[in-house]
Amino acid sequence: MTVTTDLPLELAPAIRSRRNARPAKPAGEKGTLAIGVVTLAVLIGFWFAASHFGWASPLFLPSPAEVATQFQAVVQDGYAGGTLLTHLASSLWRIGMALAVGIVVGVPLGLSMGMNRWMRGVFSVPIDLYWGLPPLAYLPLLIIWLGIDETSKVLLLTLSTFAPICFSAQAGVRSVPVERINAARSLGASRAQLFTSIILPSALPEILTGVRIAIGAGLATLVAAELIAARSGLGYMIMSAANFLATDIVFVGLIVIAALAFSLSAGMRWLERRLVPWKGKL
Amino acid sequence: MLQVREASVVFPTSDGRSVQALDRVSLDLPPDSIVVAVGASGCGKSTLLNAIAGFLPLTEGSIRLDGEPIEGPGGDRGVVFQKDTLLPWASVVDNVALGLRYKGVPKRERRERARALLRLVGLADFADKPPYELSGGMRQRVGIARALATDPKILLMDEPFGALDSLTRETMQQLLAGIWAQTGKQVLFITHSIEEALLLGTTIVVMSPRPGRIVARFDVDFVRDFASALEIGPIVSGRRFVELREEIRALIHNPPLSRHGALQ
Repeated sequence: MTVTTDLPLELAPAIRSRRNARPAKPAGEKGTLAIGVVTLAVLIGFWFAASHFGWASPLFLPSPAEVATQFQAVVQDGYAGGTLLTHLASSLWRIGMALAVGIVVGVPLGLSMGMNRWMRGVFSVPIDLYWGLPPLAYLPLLIIWLGIDETSKVLLLTLSTFAPICFSAQAGVRSVPVERINAARSLGASRAQLFTSIILPSALPEILTGVRIAIGAGLATLVAAELIAARSGLGYMIMSAANFLATDIVFVGLIVIAALAFSLSAGMRWLERRLVPWKGKL
Repeated sequence: MLQVREASVVFPTSDGRSVQALDRVSLDLPPDSIVVAVGASGCGKSTLLNAIAGFLPLTEGSIRLDGEPIEGPGGDRGVVFQKDTLLPWASVVDNVALGLRYKGVPKRERRERARALLRLVGLADFADKPPYELSGGMRQRVGIARALATDPKILLMDEPFGALDSLTRETMQQLLAGIWAQTGKQVLFITHSIEEALLLGTTIVVMSPRPGRIVARFDVDFVRDFASALEIGPIVSGRRFVELREEIRALIHNPPLSRHGALQ
């Protein structure tokens, strides 16, 4: 075989052509958008058919037209003490506050639990204990302690968003490959440099996953808490409508919550693509 | 000069016993040398490298670099790992510049120096790519450039080409021989390939397992020819190369019982 010292330069074109010949995406990565849109259309079509042919009483299943009319009415005139926008705003404010506090407290605490045995030992037991409880089980206690206004609800939501964020930050630290840390140390990284240049970016994908889980947990808790104890919010609007068997308003509330959950999730996916495009690679 | 004196490492095992990974290993690595430690798996060659890198404390003995005892990892010893350890969020050039960033070298200057090293390893055109768009062999070249960037006194290479296909491995071996011929950088190289040891080493230490120890030492000089050779065939089929290869193979398969066999 022929070898020369400047062979790497000669190899460059060959390497380039190999790089271009990338394999096709595996089936799991191909887009499912079109399939999803068709599924959604079929479901809506079924809804139209069911109310048009009277398969279910309008009391149980209002017609799409009825829901659309009510949607407009709730946007313009409001329902249960507020317009759709004010209900949406108070729900968003609660979950936004809870997420902000959950991230600001959970990320640093989780990171330090990942790096320090004492932090992990002290905090993992109490977090594990309360995280196992259904949030609605301790909501009455929070109401007794803090009253029925915003504080108790925001704290309840914070508790449900904080734990997944904290745990994922901790897991993110623990998943940093030891070789990566050793490599940085042998390049002369100080402890602070090791943290900012290696540990934090390595843990970022897990932290973002934790935030996504926290959004899901937060939404579930939010609506449930508003069903029980609130004067505003999407959950409260649904509960008020249900009390008067206003099924169409219930549908309006559900559609708005579904849209909210979908956009938050899409926003997180966008954020992940922006912040950690390298996730799962290398 | 790197001096390893009577270095022993004992690991506890999960069943409560202990394994002697290194047994009183002594070794001098003079400047300008490529010392290659070769042996079967479990012979302690990676343990030796990890101890020199500072990742692993010695149970007994000492390791000194230019008279200074080693007390942990540091920028004076560049490490190239078998598994590539590049940062996926940083471009190739910023990966190479990582050690310079830790030293506080300004961005423009460290990128300039990193680009020069990328030219040395033949990857000048890939400076701005993310590392995951590179092949395995190319990523190892980036790893070598990164380790060289801080101008360490010694380069520690732990089976760096072990995971590459055989053609890429030959290219990488000659690249390393060429870099060594150009820079005179001192290297400690770990491998289980006898041929690789002979092609790259100026000194070869043969190690044997349970307990990990050095059983023989050879001073060879194929690397100078290899660095500038157009053909690898005449080197590996030469009489002395073949004799040494068989002698080392025999030593690895049937290690002598006495310790420090052919040392010094």
